[in-house]
Amino acid sequence: MLQEHKHWSVVPGLLVVALLAACNQDRLSPDRSLLGKPSLKERQPCTPGKWTGGGRIDPTGNRLAGNYDNADEPSGGQPAAPDPAPYMTGKVTFGFNVFLGSDCVVTKGEIQVNWHPAKLAWHVSIHDNVDAFDNQPVSASTFDDNSGGRCLVVGLPFPPGMTARVNPQGGFEQVQFEVCDNDRGGAQNGRINGFHVDAMRWRATDHGDTGLTYLTGGNVVDHS
Amino acid sequence: MNGKSMHWVNRLAVLGLVVGLTAGFAVAGVAQSVGGQAYSTYVNTPVGYSGPSPLAVLPAISGTDGAEADAQGSTQTIAGALSSDFLNSITSGEIGTAESGAQSTASAASINILNGLITADEAIANVMSSVTPSGAVSNADGSTFTNLVVAGVPVTSGDGPVAPNTNISLPGVGYVVLNEQIPSGDGVTSSGLTVNMIHVYLQSLTGGGCTLLGCLPGVLTTTGEIIVGSATSSVQ
Repeated sequence: MLQEHKHWSVVPGLLVVALLAACNQDRLSPDRSLLGKPSLKERQPCTPGKWTGGGRIDPTGNRLAGNYDNADEPSGGQPAAPDPAPYMTGKVTFGFNVFLGSDCVVTKGEIQVNWHPAKLAWHVSIHDNVDAFDNQPVSASTFDDNSGGRCLVVGLPFPPGMTARVNPQGGFEQVQFEVCDNDRGGAQNGRINGFHVDAMRWRATDHGDTGLTYLTGGNVVDHS
Repeated sequence: MNGKSMHWVNRLAVLGLVVGLTAGFAVAGVAQSVGGQAYSTYVNTPVGYSGPSPLAVLPAISGTDGAEADAQGSTQTIAGALSSDFLNSITSGEIGTAESGAQSTASAASINILNGLITADEAIANVMSSVTPSGAVSNADGSTFTNLVVAGVPVTSGDGPVAPNTNISLPGVGYVVLNEQIPSGDGVTSSGLTVNMIHVYLQSLTGGGCTLLGCLPGVLTTTGEIIVGSATSSVQ
């Protein structure tokens, strides 16, 4: 019965997608439906709840670097970085707040990511169960990682992931966001190689992949 | 209603209050409130004024909820006082049953203060505050400068931190505090931290002078301030 409701709830969304695809002639906003929207059956398991956090990573593109989270990157079936190539390196700051529904769809959320060397800023905004920039549902997944923490991936499968607005150009890009809360129940000042134990990864189709990287500062909190 | 009934009503009322408060605390989690704010620049000088910009303020959070706020600016120029670009401010926070926290980040690039007296390729202020059953903490990890130069003297080469509350005199102008840190809270149930990466205090000598009876020293008075990269987080 519940599954029937899920299927029926998708019908209006598909109609909207079809209308948008028909009207979207100038390609100013992306049409993620053309890139392969995940079916409900393809969606990964997740624990409903909320995740919040922010801070900074300094990805180097070097797996031998002390801030590369090699142990947790493959968790949850995530691909090895860089995917897509190349590695995004340099200072990256971010902040987010994500709410997950019981069907692994993000009900609402805001994700801001700034890549300082390129002076680029991405923003993802999700309201009423759909991405504000393409009106499509955003799938997520949560899973245990190899170091006893728990991770969240928003934008599955990738590509197409989800659509972010890119400033200052004002364009759009398909992206995926991943964070791991590795200090669950432990000291919030815990460190690995001098870095925080929580980690973050950002993948953008046109710019590359940071790889899963320990936070230089900040925090990631799973409230599920 | 007789006295016996009132007695039971009172007992039920007290029981309801206890249950309600218990449930309320359970929902409220380990913190009653979290706060966050970030902005890239603030200028208040005789030559120009610009309020905190771009300003991101964490909305009020109730129950077990969370929020994120961010703001961006492409450039900021106050002639004679400050110019910078790629201005970004982010703050987020949440109240949870096991952990509550807030984290804020503010950054500015291509910084030029007081016609080149202070320059930097970038400054990033990054703070977090967290409270769990084991205590409350805040820190400013990840707060750095890139190629900071003060009065012609390089302070950082490449990207690197500067010791908290580093005070450098600016003769004829005032002084600057780098990585200014202002903590708050008891470290047990509450904690907070404000970081101002560059805080220039403009000063002028007022009063003083000499008469037949002798000379009196003047008094340094703060006449303005410039802040670049300010981030605040708190839990309580």
